[in-house]
Amino acid sequence: MNFSRRTATVAAIAGTASLALVLSGCATDGGDGGSGDEQIELTITTFGTMGLDGLYAQYEAEHPNIKIKATNIDTGGNALTDWKTKQASGGLPDIQAVEEGWLGSVMEVSDTFVDLREYGADDIKDRWLDWKVGQATDPDGRIIGYGTDIGPQGLCYNGKLFEAAGLPSDREAVAELFGGDNATWDKFFEVGKEYVSQTGKAFYDQSGFIWNSFVNQQEEGYYTKDGELNVEGNKTLESFWLKLADAQAAGLSANQAQWDWGGGKAFVDGTFAVFVCPGWMLGVVKGNTEAGGGDASTGWDFADVFPGGASNWGGSFLTVPTTSKHPKEAAELAEWLTAAQQQVAAFQAAGTFPSVVEAQSDPGVTGANELSEFFNNAPVGEILASRAEGVVAQFKGPDDALIQEQVVGPARTALDAGDADGPTSWKTLIETLHQLVG
Amino acid sequence: MTTTSPAPAAGTSALTFRQRLSRADVKYSPYVYVAPFFILFGLVGLFPLLYTFVVSLNDWDLLRGPGEWVGFDNYVIELQDPWFWNSLFNTFSIFLISSIPQLAAATFIAAVLDQNLRGKTFWRLSVLLPYVVTPAAVALIFSQIFSEQYGLVNNLLTAWGLDPVMWKHDTWAGHVAIATMVNWRWTGYNALILLAAMQAVPTELYESASLDGAGRVRRFFSITLPSIRPTFVFVLITATIGGLQIFTEPKLFDATRATPGGAYHQFETTTLYIWNMAFNQDRFGRAAAIAFILLVIIVLIGLINYFLSKSIATNETKISRRRTARRLDRYRQAERAAVPASIEIRQER
Repeated sequence: MNFSRRTATVAAIAGTASLALVLSGCATDGGDGGSGDEQIELTITTFGTMGLDGLYAQYEAEHPNIKIKATNIDTGGNALTDWKTKQASGGLPDIQAVEEGWLGSVMEVSDTFVDLREYGADDIKDRWLDWKVGQATDPDGRIIGYGTDIGPQGLCYNGKLFEAAGLPSDREAVAELFGGDNATWDKFFEVGKEYVSQTGKAFYDQSGFIWNSFVNQQEEGYYTKDGELNVEGNKTLESFWLKLADAQAAGLSANQAQWDWGGGKAFVDGTFAVFVCPGWMLGVVKGNTEAGGGDASTGWDFADVFPGGASNWGGSFLTVPTTSKHPKEAAELAEWLTAAQQQVAAFQAAGTFPSVVEAQSDPGVTGANELSEFFNNAPVGEILASRAEGVVAQFKGPDDALIQEQVVGPARTALDAGDADGPTSWKTLIETLHQLVG
Repeated sequence: MTTTSPAPAAGTSALTFRQRLSRADVKYSPYVYVAPFFILFGLVGLFPLLYTFVVSLNDWDLLRGPGEWVGFDNYVIELQDPWFWNSLFNTFSIFLISSIPQLAAATFIAAVLDQNLRGKTFWRLSVLLPYVVTPAAVALIFSQIFSEQYGLVNNLLTAWGLDPVMWKHDTWAGHVAIATMVNWRWTGYNALILLAAMQAVPTELYESASLDGAGRVRRFFSITLPSIRPTFVFVLITATIGGLQIFTEPKLFDATRATPGGAYHQFETTTLYIWNMAFNQDRFGRAAAIAFILLVIIVLIGLINYFLSKSIATNETKISRRRTARRLDRYRQAERAAVPASIEIRQER
C-alpha cells in the first residue's frame, strides 16, 4: 500500500472521527426518554400470570401522554434473577413487580425503592389489608410497594378422577372429605393413600408445592420473627418432611417437573388429581390445562378447604425503583393498577385474589367469570375470600427465596424421584443449608 | 502498512508547518489506526478483567455492593468448595463426551463431503444448518425431546420395551443429553473447516498413492489425516475453548428448575456455577474468584495445547529429517557401492 501523505492524513482524521462516532454512539445508546413532558414511556416488569396485561391499553387510552412498555417473565424464580441482575447492574424498569417470597432480599436494599408516601401512600393505605401494607413497609417506616394480590389457598381437584376413584366429586362433599374446617395434613395424606389404592395413580403432581403450603402456613417459616434461621432442629418442619417421604413411598407423588408438567399434559391425562391452589395458581392451572389440550371438561374444580387451616402462599407488590426517571408517573400507574377496580379485572383474568379489601367483596370477584367457568362453575371468588380468613403474614428473611429454591429444591427432588429416603434427604437439606446460607 | 517516507530535511533549517505535520503523520498515525482495537479492548476486555480481580478480593454482595476487603480468602474458600469441584468435573466430562465424538464425526462427514458428490453445495450447506439456530432454541427443543415423562426419546425407549432414562436426574444421562446438543450444533461447523483443509491436499498425492495400490481407507489414513493435522489442531483448540465455556445448554436444559444445572447440580458447568453464585446466591466476590480460577485453568490448558501441537510439529520435522538423513545415507551408500563397481568394470575392460 502506498498512498500519498494527504490521503493518509485525511484517513487518520476520518478514522478518529468514525471512532469518536462509534464511542459516542455507545454512550447515547441506553438513554432515550427523559426529554420533554409530552410523551412518557413507562416500563413495567411483571411475572407469571398477574392478570395486568389487559389493563395497560386502558390506562394508555385514559392518559394519552403515557406509553407503557410491559415485560412479563414466565416464573417468579426467573423474575427474581432478572431483578437482582438489574438491581446490581442497572436497567430496572419504572415499575418492578416483587413477590412476597423475595421481599426479604428487597428489604435489604429498601432505600433503592421510592418511598410511596411521597406520592400519597399514607392517604390510600387503608385500601389494603393491614398485613399487606405491613409487609411492604421497611424498618424505617417507608412504604415501598402497593399490594396487588394475596395468595389464600384452597384445594384444586379433578372431579372426574375423584369420581372414577369412588370418592365424592361434589365441591362441598370434597371439602367434608378432607375434614372441612378441621382439615389436617394427616387426613389429606390418608385420602391420598385411598385414592392411590383405588386407581394406582399418583395423588398430587410433586411434593414441592405441598411443602411450600405447609411452610407458609406456619407462624414462622424459614426464619423466626427476629430474623434468625429456623430450619435446623425445627421439629415441625422435619416431621412434615418425613410425612412427605412416607407419602412419596406410598405413591402419592407423580414426580412431575414443577412449572413444566410436560407442557401441561399432566393436567389433562389424569397423572394427578389434586393441586394446592393459591388464588394466582388458578390461572396457572387453567393455562396449563389449555396448553395440554384440555378445557373445562377436563374436570378441574376448586374446593373451600385446605389441610392444616388458612395458608397464604405468594402475592405480589408493585414497586418503583429510585432509578426511575418518572417516579411520579410510575407511582400513579402503580396506584391505578392496584386500585380496586383493576384488582377485580386482574382477578377475572388470572385468579389473583385482591389485597384491596373493597375489591374482595366486589360482585366481579364473587360472581361468575371465565375462571369460574373453567373450574366447573365454582364460586372461586367466594371460596378464596373464605380461605383468606385467618391468614397472617409470615416474616420473610433475606435468603428465603434461596432456601426455598436451592436448599429445599434438590432435597425435595431426590425425595420425589425416590433417590433418597426421608431422613437422608433431610440431612442433605441441612448440609446444603450450611453450604449456601451458613 | 507503509507510507512514503518524508523527504529528509536538508541541514538544520527550520521545518515548515506542512513538513512537521507530515512528519507527525508518519510517526503517529499508525498508532491512531491501531487505537480502536486497543481502546475497545481496554473498555470491554482489560477493565472488566481488572475489575473482576478487585471484586474477587472483597466480600462483595450483589445487592449491597462492596463489603470487607478479604484478600485471597475467596480463592481459599472456592478451592475447598465441593460444588466448585463438582462444576469442574461436569465441565470436563461434558467437554470430553462432546468433543471426542464430535471431532470424529466431523472428520468422517468432511471425508464424505470431500468425495465427488452430486449437489455439493446443498450437502455442505445442510451440515451447517444446525449452526444457524440459536443455542437457546436448540436447548428448548432438546429439553423437550429428553423430557423424562413426555419426551420423544423416552417414548421411543418405552415403545421398544426398554426402561426410560432419567435424563434430568441422572448425571451421565444428563451429560450425554447436553453433549448431544453441543454436538448437534458444532459438528457441521467443524466438518466444513476440516473439509476446506482436505480440499487443499494436492491431488497428485492421491493419484500417486493409488498408482502404488493404496485403497481408499489407506489413502485417508496415510495422506488425508496427516495433511490436515494443522487444521485439526486448530479445531481442537477452538473446541476446547468452547467446551470449557458451555453455558446456554445446561442452563436451559431443565429451565423450570430453580437450581441451575439440574436438580442436584449434576450438569452445572463452571460458567453456570459462576452465574449461580453471583446472581442467585448474591456472592459476587466468590463468583469473581471462580472466574479467575477458571481463567487460570483455561490458560493452563491453552499452554498444554500449545506445547502439544509444538511437539507434534517438531516431531514431524524430526521424523522427516530422520527420513531425509536415512535416504541420503542410502543414496550415498549406493553411490559408494556404485563407484567402485564402475571402476572395476573399467578395470575389467
